[in-house]
Amino acid sequence: MHPDSSTELAVDAVDVTKRYGPLVAVDNLNLQVAPGEVYGILGPNGAGKTTFLRMLFGLIRPDSGTVRVFGRAWADAGVQVLDGVAGFIESPRFYPYLTGRQNLEGLALLDGTDPTRSGSRIDEVLDVVDLAGRENDKVAGYSYGMRQRLGVAASLLRDPRLLVLDEPANGLDPGGIRDMRALVKRLTEGGLTVLLSSHHMDEVEEICDNVTIMSRGRVAFHGSIGDLRAMAPDPGHLLSTSDDARAVVLARELHPAVAVEPDGGGGLVASGASHLLSAYVADLVRADIELRAFTPTRTPLEALFFMLTDTEAEPDEPSEPGERFAHRQQAGAAR
Amino acid sequence: MRRFIISVAAAMLVVLAVGGAVVAGDGGGSSVTRARLERSLPVAFANLYADQAKLLGHHGVTPASLHAEAMCDKGGAVEDDIGPGSNWNCLVSWTDPANPMPPEGYGKFELDVHSNGCYTAGGSSKLVGYQTITDTKGDVVTNPVSEFDGCFDPNGDNTPTGNLFPSLTSVTTTALLPDADHRISLQLSCGTGATGCQGMLSAVAGSTKLGSVSFDIPEEQTAKLRIPTPVPAGTDAVDFTLTVTRGTGPKGPVSETSLDMPAG
Amino acid sequence: MTTTVAQPRTPTSEQVTDPGRPRFGAALRWETRKLRAQLRARALVIGAILAPIAVVLVVHSQPRPPKDTLFGRFATENGFAMALLVLGVASQWVLPLLTAIVAGDIFASEDQHGTWKTVLTRSISRSRLFWAKAVVAVVFALLTLVLLAASTIAFSVLIVGAHPLTGLSGQTIPASSAVALVSTAWASMALPMVGFTCLALLFSVWSRNAAVGIAAPVVLGLVMQLVGALGGIETLRPFLLTTPFEAWHGLLAAPRFTGPLLESVVTSAGWSVACLTAAFLILRRRDITGG
Repeated sequence: MHPDSSTELAVDAVDVTKRYGPLVAVDNLNLQVAPGEVYGILGPNGAGKTTFLRMLFGLIRPDSGTVRVFGRAWADAGVQVLDGVAGFIESPRFYPYLTGRQNLEGLALLDGTDPTRSGSRIDEVLDVVDLAGRENDKVAGYSYGMRQRLGVAASLLRDPRLLVLDEPANGLDPGGIRDMRALVKRLTEGGLTVLLSSHHMDEVEEICDNVTIMSRGRVAFHGSIGDLRAMAPDPGHLLSTSDDARAVVLARELHPAVAVEPDGGGGLVASGASHLLSAYVADLVRADIELRAFTPTRTPLEALFFMLTDTEAEPDEPSEPGERFAHRQQAGAAR
Repeated sequence: MRRFIISVAAAMLVVLAVGGAVVAGDGGGSSVTRARLERSLPVAFANLYADQAKLLGHHGVTPASLHAEAMCDKGGAVEDDIGPGSNWNCLVSWTDPANPMPPEGYGKFELDVHSNGCYTAGGSSKLVGYQTITDTKGDVVTNPVSEFDGCFDPNGDNTPTGNLFPSLTSVTTTALLPDADHRISLQLSCGTGATGCQGMLSAVAGSTKLGSVSFDIPEEQTAKLRIPTPVPAGTDAVDFTLTVTRGTGPKGPVSETSLDMPAG
Repeated sequence: MTTTVAQPRTPTSEQVTDPGRPRFGAALRWETRKLRAQLRARALVIGAILAPIAVVLVVHSQPRPPKDTLFGRFATENGFAMALLVLGVASQWVLPLLTAIVAGDIFASEDQHGTWKTVLTRSISRSRLFWAKAVVAVVFALLTLVLLAASTIAFSVLIVGAHPLTGLSGQTIPASSAVALVSTAWASMALPMVGFTCLALLFSVWSRNAAVGIAAPVVLGLVMQLVGALGGIETLRPFLLTTPFEAWHGLLAAPRFTGPLLESVVTSAGWSVACLTAAFLILRRRDITGG
């Protein structure tokens, strides 16, 4: 038995920096993941999440600092760092001219597994990701979601202690996102250490214990989901009434702590502590102003996320990653 | 694509740079040398000539009995006898009782020699026959010595063989063309050989001596000799005597030839 | 749904002693398997067997023999000369191309498919993967050479006939020893072929582009051939990777000379070691950012 495998940090990144020319992709990052933890790395595209994960896997070398995985660093342990680690970075890629099963068989070979023993294990992981029945089709014919799931299967094949998933729901359709989140959640329930990167707060919020929010290569927030919630600003609400002008006046006179401003799309945005908002809405009704809509603009954590990362780009733009993927696919096909 | 162009360009640059350095360093010493050709060609020739003799039904000809020897030269007197090229000439002498040598004692082969040590040799049809010959069975077959390939060892013995054959002086003018002063001139050529050509040419028109001119022609070059005395009117033909003191003439050291004067 | 798979694995004794370290043989098996699944590899193997038949038939039916290549003047009437003519022509660009099609692609295809990250996040080290690919490419090159040689010699002899061969010193070589000499001449192609394989591997690693990996060695081979044929810079010849392609000439001369064959061992080995070392260092140091 490994004497200190239970106390050792699963991931211990110390002062990690990576530059690409003038661009600092990861700037002095420190990050610790305890064993058994489900850890989220959040950040908009280009924040440095993927660069960090590539360094964890030894695909790229940090310019300075060290990344230790279960106590091992690349500089002295080499590929042994990856013992007990599995996962994928960006969209998982496979050999299109081989079937899903052949791909997994090959990867099992590269894991040092006796191929005569890997067969049943492959059936098992294919079953977990719902690919049983399609495993003898060439990967070239797989949909994006199927490749994503094959990526999870390929990771599970390694029986990891640490599972690293980089934007697992990226590029999936709503049904695929739901399935993928359910799968990740199921995996985390088993007590596996999981390092999950995402640019969607709600994906992380649901399952992670601790998060690091990254922006432009730097850590913008570091702590538990609870700490993050405590920091969250008062949520804004979209308000639509029968008489918006009076509603503004009413807020100014009776509820100075609630900010009510006209919204660009016609309607109002009200923000303030939730109990004050409730009182304001009750007064509106009392004043015979008809309330037609009252919806939160975004969740508190989302609001915080955008505040921390300075991105005021539209938070939910489901077409964007999909488009990017479609573009990449075309580029791949053209080659 | 950019990487491709860069890589090919870089590779060529390296090759050229190394090449330039090496050439500048030692002058580009070639393995294609006169001595190696002089050792290789007679062996190939003798083997193939014996094959030809067999085809023609000549008995008693073996590669050894031919005693073939060669003297090679590249580009005449003006060029060093080293390096690949299609301007190599080799003079080959051999002994075949059924096919005696001309007075100069050798036949000429033109060679195209490649930098890898392989060559293609073509012989004069006068001595080795045409491209095809008729064998003893009456079939038309390829003449093995008319044109053949050979290769020598690029690391082989490079000490000079000492084979020297005299240059052949020959008259290349076929018709006399007197100038306005009724003087005539004659073109001589000096063939491949060790020495170049030296001697005297004298001309006689009937009983009138037209005088003599001495010549000294480097190998593989020609010279035009002007006879000083005008040809008397009414001369039908001029007799020339070619006395070769260095090299050899068409019929040995002294050859005589006669050329007609144009009518009128 | 199985949930057992998601349970954390306590390290078993097996994992502690040897945590699933893949052996070199496993990487070899994987690379071989991928190669076998590729259409181009199968096409090359079939082409190496069938193409010589077509070439021999076409040359054999020519009214005039192709005299400008060594042994060409006897090719239409002598099977051994035919096999050597094909050898002379093949060594100009066919052999480099034959090996570059696989070796020039073997690293670049990982870039093309974005699969570096897939294989390098398993338990195999970059070095082992590199050597597995190199070994597979070299073995494939030798396999195609053997097939090409066997097919060429067999069909040349079958179609044109086995007569005594006129050698490069005009000597007559009896058919029985001609077989051995022609086979040895073909076998001597193995050395420069390995050299070109390593050159293609280097281009494959460096360019990350299969087209470059395949075309660059062939173009470079043609350039080297041109340089080697030029007069005046022949001191370069021993350093050119195309010179070993001509080392077999000595086998067919009398007396036989083998100096060029020995030089070709040194030249080919030098190129192979230099290219492999460079490729290895590039791959070892490279940041895998694509895919």
